[in-house]
Order: sequence, then C-alpha cells, then structure tokens
Amino acid sequence: MRVVIAEDDALLREGLALLLAAEGIEVLDAVDNAADLLAAVSAETPDVLIVDVRLPPDFRDEGLRAAIEARRTRPGLPVLVLSSYVEDTYASALLSEGGVGVGYLLKERVGKVQSFLDALHRVADGGTAIDPEVIAQLLVRRRAGDPLHALTAREREVLALMAEGLSNTDIGVRLVISEGAVNKHIRNIFAKLGLQPSDSGHRRVLAVLAYLRA
Amino acid sequence: MSAMKVLTATRDAALFLMSGAGAALLALPLFWLVGCVALLSLAGVGLPLIPPVTRLVRRLAGWQRRRLGIRVPPYLPLEGTLPVRVRAAVGDPATPREVLWLLAHGLTGSVLGFLALGLPLAALNAATLPLWWWLPPGSPPSVLGYAVDSWPTALTGPFVAAAYVGVARLVLPNAAVLSERLSRRLLEPVGRVRLAQQVAMLTAARASALEAHAQELRRIERTLHDGTQNRLVAVVMHLGMLERALGAAPESTRQLAVRAQDAASDALVNLRDAIRAIHPPVLTEHGLDGALAALAARSPVPCVVEVAGFPRLPAAVEAAAYFTAAEALTNVARHSRAGKAALRVHLDGGLLIVEIEDDGVGGARSGAGSGLTGIDHRAAAFGGRSTLTSPPGGPTVLTVELPCGL
Repeated sequence: MRVVIAEDDALLREGLALLLAAEGIEVLDAVDNAADLLAAVSAETPDVLIVDVRLPPDFRDEGLRAAIEARRTRPGLPVLVLSSYVEDTYASALLSEGGVGVGYLLKERVGKVQSFLDALHRVADGGTAIDPEVIAQLLVRRRAGDPLHALTAREREVLALMAEGLSNTDIGVRLVISEGAVNKHIRNIFAKLGLQPSDSGHRRVLAVLAYLRA
Repeated sequence: MSAMKVLTATRDAALFLMSGAGAALLALPLFWLVGCVALLSLAGVGLPLIPPVTRLVRRLAGWQRRRLGIRVPPYLPLEGTLPVRVRAAVGDPATPREVLWLLAHGLTGSVLGFLALGLPLAALNAATLPLWWWLPPGSPPSVLGYAVDSWPTALTGPFVAAAYVGVARLVLPNAAVLSERLSRRLLEPVGRVRLAQQVAMLTAARASALEAHAQELRRIERTLHDGTQNRLVAVVMHLGMLERALGAAPESTRQLAVRAQDAASDALVNLRDAIRAIHPPVLTEHGLDGALAALAARSPVPCVVEVAGFPRLPAAVEAAAYFTAAEALTNVARHSRAGKAALRVHLDGGLLIVEIEDDGVGGARSGAGSGLTGIDHRAAAFGGRSTLTSPPGGPTVLTVELPCGL
C-alpha cells in the first residue's frame, strides 16, 4: 500500500511516516500543506491519503477541503482524515461527498497501532472508519420516543461499532462474541430501527450513519 | 522658588495669555455674529445661518479646548435636514455655554493679552533707556511720563524695568490661571454631558477589553492545539510504536508502554475538553451562525434557527452565546417535553439577543441545579442579563442579552 501524508507538525509527520514504514507501508510523500498535497496526488499514485484537518495558512479546515478536492481529481481516492478533535458536522461533510473510502479519526488513535492500521486498510479498500467519538456524539441527544431507546445495551454497542465501519467479524472480536451472535444483534437492530436489512458491506455503514445523522 | 523658575513661569503665563488673545480677537466678532444670527432668526431669515455659525463656534471652542487639554463634548451632529441641524445646534447643551465663553473670553482675553504683551515690552523699553539716551541725539525719550534729559534720569530706566517685571510677575501668572479657569468653567462638559461621555468611554473600554480577551483566547487555543496537543499525540504515537517494537519482550514490559500510552490519551481527552470550554473550535471554523446550526441539528427536540446576519463578534461573546444556546437546548430536551423549539439570535444596538423558545409544559424556574442558573451567571459575567417567562402550560421563552462592545 502506498500513502501520501499531509501533516504540518514535523514531529507527527515524521513519526507517522516512521510508523507506517515500520509496518511495511510505502510512504510516497509526506508534505506539510494543502498545495503540496494536491501536487503529490497528481504526480504520484497513492492508494490512500492521510490528511490533517488543520493545515497552514489558517489552520482551519484546509486539509479537509484539500482532501475533498483531491477526490474530485481522482474520484474514489481513499482519504483518512485525522483531527485533533472531532465534530459530527465535519464527518457529515466528508460522508456527503460519497462516503466511499472515507475515514475520520482523532489523531491519537494512531497510538493504537493495530486498530489504526485496520482502519487505514479498511479505508484504502473503500470502507469506512469513523471515530467512536463521532458515533458517541451522534448517539447522545436522541429525542424521546426514538427507536434507538428500544435497543438493548449490547445492541447499542454493536450499532456503534457498525457505524465506525467495522465488519461483523471485527465486531465479534471486539465484543468477544461469536459472529453468529453479531448477525443476530444486527438483524434485531435493523428491525427495531425500521431499516432495510442490507448486506454486510459498506452500504450498511452508510445506512446506519444516515439514520444516526437524520 | 528660584528667580529663574519665577521668570520662566511668568514667561509661560505671558505666552499663554498672548495666544489666548488671538482666540479672543476672533471670539468677539464671532459673538456679535452669533447675536446678529439670533436676531435674524427671530425674524426667520437667519435660520439657515445657524448650523454654519455653530460650526465656527465649535471650531474656536475646540481650539481653546485643545490648548487646555479639555475633552470635546459629545456634540449633537450637525447633519440631516435644516430643521434637524438647527435643532441640533440650538439644543446641544454645549452651545449656550460656548456662546457665553465667546463673550467672556473675548473681553478678558484681549485685555489680558494686551497686558501680557505690553508689560514685557514696557520693561524692555525702560531697561534700554540709557542706550536710547546715549545713542542718537534727537527728541528725548520719555518714561513713566517724565522726559529723560540727563544721565541721572536715564539711569532710572533699569529700576523702572525691574518694577515692570515685578508687576508682570505678580499679575501675569494669576491672570493666566483666571483666564484658564474661566474657559474650563464654560468649555468642560458638565453633568449629564460628562456622564454620557463616560458611558461612551466605558463602552469603548469594554470593546477593547473584549477584543483583547478574544485575542488572548485565540492565542491560548492555538498554543494548546498546535503545541501541547500535538506533542501529546506524538507521545501516544511513539509509545504505540514502542509497544509493537517490544514484540517479544515480556508482557509486563509491554504493559508499561500501554499504561504510559493510556495516561497520555487521558491527558488528551482532558485537554480537548478544556479547549472546548475555552473556545469551541466549531466557532472558529464556522462562526456563530454555523455553530448554532450545528447545535440545533443535534438537538433532540426539533429546533429551527433564525439568525439575523451580523458581523463576527468578540470571541468571548460568541462563545457565551454558543454555550448559552447549548445549555438552553439541553434544558429544553431534559425538562420541557416540548415538540419543537426555536433559537433566535439577533443584534440590537450593542446587545446580542439570544432567545430560546419551546412549546413544552412550561413552569420552568431558575434555581439550584437547573441549567438556567448557569445561564444567568454567564450573562451576568458579561454585564448582560437573562429573563425567563414560563407560565404553566408553556410556552417557555428564555431571553439572554449579552453586551458585545459594538
């Protein structure tokens, strides 16, 4: 897998490149601003971009906008956006751009190397990786009478992991339950929320996210 | 006081009076002009002349104010249609006082200025008397009314000069003080005028304090975000790499790396909460209206947002408005059993008005434990206030006014 990194903080940029190289991932380029990122995207052929939301000059959402721009030149180019904090509104901005091969994680998730690599691979393969923090923001503040309140605690856990973009297998591993049990929970969730039971692919994640964002 | 100091004070007083005489020479004709315009106005034809003449008066008074370091009163502006301008000119509390000053300063200023010029000249004349006597022959000079026709009389000159200087020393500083006091009495803003000026000054002071505060908030937020936070993320990241590099090491050793990592992660969570409390990043990026829209979108009770367009406000005010709206919407969700809510924000003069209305059960009270107390305190901290109307059965309307130094 070949990646291009855009991160303005030198320590983080080099650390990230080092981490990926140690895991056998090829870092084509590591840049510190949006313009260089777009140049790298057109000059090289990365499989996935890792982009910090805040980049110079204004340190607002230049990275996010550059990522969306890069996906316009190379449709479907997987992008994993890293941020110091997460807002469900930004997640919506990313997902509304198609939502295929999109990740949005807190920067510090990089520290849990294995799950970070899993997320990176998932995104590179056209999947989704949404930070648990975003899902938590989406899950709080539901109105009274919301079907979500009908879910059991375990079903809510499964829903959250599903929304993060995890596969049934991964959910089973995470919750230490069998894949069959996961499937049963998911059927119940879809029934309670009134969603069409769809295949276990990426569309399912989008359906769940769309439900949560509605 | 040394002789030198006394002489300097006398010289300064003389110069002050002489320049004051300049204004006095203009003030007298201007006073008569004002009088003529007043008479003509009684007949009706002088009205259009009032604004320009008032402008002249303000200018001359302004010159004197600058000399004395007196603040300009908050004049009613001479703008708009003729009736408006005439009313502003005549109705301004400063106008009659300035006209009176024209007369008072015109009379005293020219006399005192004459004195301030005359005494030194007379002293000079007397002091150089022997020279006049000795130099060219001709008609004899005179001093104090007697003709100088001999050396003894000529040598009285310096003594007479000393007397002039003595008189100047006694008279001029006191005259300068009196002249200044007279001008101050008439030109300084009084009573409610001074009060209005203080209000204006305080408003300006609050605006600059808010602006300074806003810059400070942004600086803190940037330092925490781009400095502290990134460093901590780097720590977490490198500990993660260390943990993997330890691979074959004993479980207990790897656990150390994991524990260090968890501690750093906790610190990051705390830091994020702190940054959010200082100044929510969403405000920086989307402005108050964007942040409020995001809040409403997340509200469990369906909420419409009405934001009248206004410029970016001081960061502290935006943050206060944001937190107020967030707390109010949380309250609505928790207690109101409302079906819908509305969040309205607009600017009224220098006040940012945040209004949250719901169609719930009503009967809300501000008291211990309710989020309304927090909202009260936040508004009070900004010199604003919050009012709550919540009759049983609803609707509940919470209005918060935040002065924003505009």
